[in-house]
Amino acid sequence: VRSDAALLAAARTDPGAFRELYDRYADRVLGYHQRRCRDEDAAHELTAETFAQVWLVRARFRDECEGSAGPWLFGIARNVLLVSVRRRALEARARERLGMLVTPPAVSPQEDWLDGLDDDEVPEAVRLRVIDELEYDEVAAALGTTPGAARVRVHRGLAALRKERDR
Amino acid sequence: MTARLDAIGDDLERAARADRRHSARRRRRIAGGAISLAILLPGAAIAASLLTEEDVARSLPQGTKFLVGTTPTCTEEQPGVQYRCTISGAFESEIDGSLEGTVEPTVDDTKHVNGGCRSLRADGRDWRCYIGQAAVEQKIIGPDFLGEYAPSPGVG
Repeated sequence: VRSDAALLAAARTDPGAFRELYDRYADRVLGYHQRRCRDEDAAHELTAETFAQVWLVRARFRDECEGSAGPWLFGIARNVLLVSVRRRALEARARERLGMLVTPPAVSPQEDWLDGLDDDEVPEAVRLRVIDELEYDEVAAALGTTPGAARVRVHRGLAALRKERDR
Repeated sequence: MTARLDAIGDDLERAARADRRHSARRRRRIAGGAISLAILLPGAAIAASLLTEEDVARSLPQGTKFLVGTTPTCTEEQPGVQYRCTISGAFESEIDGSLEGTVEPTVDDTKHVNGGCRSLRADGRDWRCYIGQAAVEQKIIGPDFLGEYAPSPGVG
């Protein structure tokens, strides 16, 4: 099985390798956007935009996580979400650049899509780690923090949930 | 994977293949133009006539988001190929820790990747920049990235 880094290196000239990377991460990236915006159509649009950006900037990838592209990829997903909320419109520039058909849903990005992104991410950290089974560096990228801090947040979140359960 | 996600994957793959074909055609056109110029002008004069130190200086913030707003100063080390650039003024990198050895692409006024730079210092104020194929040989950018359209400065 080729590593993410190997797929991205191959994707510089081979769209098939890009597709393999998409197949590997699409569900998790969709899950990330679904949790944020709670709208199926918007989440699919944001996922498509995330991967269109991945294609366009693939040559910029640097392997800093032992072959995993997760942190880098979730960083792009996070950025697509942030830009969409700031612009109050689902980000579509990468898809437009690639000549893809963009049919944005009626939903308009809301500030609350960013809830928990910048502070008090404990529940989000637990969801990413426990439900989505992301590695800590992927959790960190999704939260915009370091793997060490992500680990702490997951542990704190789990402890809080246990305490709540035992009450 | 759901059918809907699979369909998005198909669309993306189709668009990626079309983009790849388009890039290959553009690279052939650029190469053809360069060969024509090379016939008309002596080699050393070509690079010097195509690129000034100011052009290279502008290329840095045009390629790298955290350098937007800075005004680098570049001096030629090898005409049209290698430049030494220094940056004064405030900027904040998204990269934690030392910037020494960090590489960033450069983008020309037409918004196409024209080379890349490597930071020589931890504070990111001293860079050595390479234009064209030299940036590829220095492993700063990949061969496919050279000449790519880059509408806005990049991150990471």
